[in-house]
Amino acid sequence: MLRHAVAAALLAGLASGSNAAPQRIVSINLCADELVLRLAPPGVVKSVTWLARDPALSNVSVQARYVPVNRGLAEDVVPLAPDLVIAGALTTRTAVALLQRLGIPVLELSLPSSVEEAFEQIATVAAAVGAPAQGAQLIADMKQAFAASPSVLTFISARPIAAVYQPNGFTIGSGSLINDLLKRAGLRNLAVEQRIDNYGALSLELLLFAQPDLLIMNAVENRGPAMAYEILRHPALMSWYGEARVVSLPSAWWSCPGPRLVDVVQRLRHAAQQLPPNAAR
Amino acid sequence: MNARAWSPPARSSVTLLRPSSLLGALVVILLLLSAVSLSVGRAPLDVGAAIAQWLRGESTLATLVLIELRVPRTVLGVLVGASLGLAGAALQGLLRNPLAEPGIIGVSSCAAFGAVVAFYSGFSLTAPLALPLAGIAGALIAVLLLYALAGREASTLTLILAGVAINGFAGAATALALNLAPNPFAVTEIVFWMMGSLADRSISHLQLAAPLMIVGWVLLLNSGRALDALTLGEDTAASLGVRLGRLRLMLVLGTALAVGSGVAVTGAVGFVGLVAPHLLRPLVGHQPSRLLVASALAGAVLVLAADIAIRSITVGPELKLGVVTALIGAPFFLLLVMRLRRAVI
Amino acid sequence: MKITADNIIVKVGDATLLDGVSVTASPGELLGVIGPNGAGKSTLLRTLAGLRGCTHGNVRYDGRLRTEATPHQRAQQVAYLAQRGPVAWPLTVERLVALGRLPHLQALGAHDIRGAAAIAAALADTDTLHLRWRIVDTLSGGELARALLARALAVDGAALLADEPVAELDPYHQLQVMEILRERADSGQTVIVVLHEITLAARFCDRLVLLDHGRVVAAGSPAEVLTDANLHTTYRVRAVRGEQSGREFVLPWQRLS
Repeated sequence: MLRHAVAAALLAGLASGSNAAPQRIVSINLCADELVLRLAPPGVVKSVTWLARDPALSNVSVQARYVPVNRGLAEDVVPLAPDLVIAGALTTRTAVALLQRLGIPVLELSLPSSVEEAFEQIATVAAAVGAPAQGAQLIADMKQAFAASPSVLTFISARPIAAVYQPNGFTIGSGSLINDLLKRAGLRNLAVEQRIDNYGALSLELLLFAQPDLLIMNAVENRGPAMAYEILRHPALMSWYGEARVVSLPSAWWSCPGPRLVDVVQRLRHAAQQLPPNAAR
Repeated sequence: MNARAWSPPARSSVTLLRPSSLLGALVVILLLLSAVSLSVGRAPLDVGAAIAQWLRGESTLATLVLIELRVPRTVLGVLVGASLGLAGAALQGLLRNPLAEPGIIGVSSCAAFGAVVAFYSGFSLTAPLALPLAGIAGALIAVLLLYALAGREASTLTLILAGVAINGFAGAATALALNLAPNPFAVTEIVFWMMGSLADRSISHLQLAAPLMIVGWVLLLNSGRALDALTLGEDTAASLGVRLGRLRLMLVLGTALAVGSGVAVTGAVGFVGLVAPHLLRPLVGHQPSRLLVASALAGAVLVLAADIAIRSITVGPELKLGVVTALIGAPFFLLLVMRLRRAVI
Repeated sequence: MKITADNIIVKVGDATLLDGVSVTASPGELLGVIGPNGAGKSTLLRTLAGLRGCTHGNVRYDGRLRTEATPHQRAQQVAYLAQRGPVAWPLTVERLVALGRLPHLQALGAHDIRGAAAIAAALADTDTLHLRWRIVDTLSGGELARALLARALAVDGAALLADEPVAELDPYHQLQVMEILRERADSGQTVIVVLHEITLAARFCDRLVLLDHGRVVAAGSPAEVLTDANLHTTYRVRAVRGEQSGREFVLPWQRLS
């Protein structure tokens, strides 16, 4: 709710200032990149972050190619003379403070912790960039797509358990977007049952012993080797979880508000239905 | 004097008894710790049942966790600890200085640098053996650098200074390599390489490191007699038949093989090669040859104990192995330096 | 064992340490190598022991070239006592002396048959039996010198080469060490000793070799070598001579300019 109030105040400020939608929008946040590139009128977006061009991280990597990129530093932003900068909750405080001191309007987005909050954020950004109709359309499309997917049906007793397994053995629990998506797909989240809030470490032994029905891992990325990935390729994990029980999802799909959230739920539901019947406990 | 006042003991039977009982005691402790190590972990594993299942040829979740997770971790801990203890004892015998150990003189950190280059460049994906070999190459460079900087009969001061220089260089080079690595996780992984960890190591890591480690052990263990002779200096040792050049080569290669291949799969674990020989030396009459095996066993015991301690702490993310060994080893090191300050530096 | 050096030349960089030195040492003989500081005495001894090579010339053991024997064989035959250096580890005297048996060790570190006896004899001969279990760190200078000598004796080789074994010892122990070396020579070993103390050299050695600036100035019996002229030119001292119990003694008395 607070976010709505902030957005409204911002819009009021904008409206009182120029009486028109922003014409020079700069995004210094990856999730904001996707929203502005999807929603803003053409030519208005003057810069997005350099991460937006990375297909492993961004859902709009193609569109981002036609827009200059910035490194999220105030130095990159100020010369572009933006009339709206969209930052994220994790953007450095110093950069945001500097921009605000220079009188540049900054819209700060938090990390949505549910699909509903994601819809709110889409609406907020759509309003801020002067395209509220497109925002509403996108939200409506997504809601329709969520409803249209076949709901998960036949489980003998309880819903299957899924575990998100990230590099370095991290999992994601309650209060996160992916958790809400798992719920909508009809799955239980192992991290929640282990009482993990948001990001938390899950030891390989515990993961194996907990025997989740589905393992959700990032799609293969070609970004060079790292020790962080070793745990994901541990022989113990690979021998216990064959292809049928691993869902390969690009992390970009569930990190930011956007139409890809629907694809996540669809894929999860599909994978859940492929499970052998005695998998659900 | 009156030679008949003392008759020679038959084959020094008294002194033969003590070494075998010391080694026996160490082996027993090691076996006990290994059993504990297999029983400790986040999962509620019934080790006895798992072993029984494995012996029957069954393949269950319990056998999976036991064989693929706990056994490699335990065995690798033993191997790495033994390598560090053995290399520490051998280096101290060669350099005739109780402060020499793979971590302090820079061998471990240079090995880590080699491994980092091989791993993050992707080279070790195509040629897995490149990983331990790169670690060994790094270790070799460190020893050669040490000889170049400190010379053959280096004083403690020169030795430590050379070690500081090599460690500084290796640390900086490793940080640079990690920064340049294509994967964004790389930068944060310096902690693994500099502090070491046995977490989630698999049988494939064992297979990579063990053969070369054991070759290194053979080279080091063979140097026992020559190290004894070196007690009296290089000239006397040469007069007792020691081939000094060959000895140095064997020790350099042996240390590089044993330490380098271990560091490549677990990162640099510090201070074990300092503490293990120091604790055991009085128990073997300060004799370098008798220290080798004892120090290896003590090193294995130390690493296992540290790893068990880490896994027994259930709060928070798992500590790195090097943190615990440093907590024990660094004060130890300070004590040693203070004690040696009284002797001529 | 007869040790012969044939026209040894040792050059290191621009410096010539030994310039055409020929020496012979025979079994049963105590040969003293004397000369002023920097004369090349230690270099000669190390060359004879096989611890360093020579640029020209050769060393022979019983007629065979030194280089023909493996270091192991040489170690069993030739014992070398270095100028006092630090003992790296605080061993007991027993273990220190036992190091002398290293060239004779069998597989797995077992002593050979003569091992224990050789160690015992070495301890007895150097009057260090009562120090057997003491740590070397706790020994006095004289006691340590005798323990190190015992180590060299324990090798029980055919030859014993000692580099300044009596430096820093009090008169009692100086005489004791020289007597031990004398006994060894008398029992048939070849003993070569480098000495600064010409009085001791004159009294105990059968033959002397006087070196100066890498060259042999004189070689022969003490009377032949320690002439007034030689003492004048090499040591720049004048000696007082006398006789005691049928042996002549030489005592440096006055410095000459």
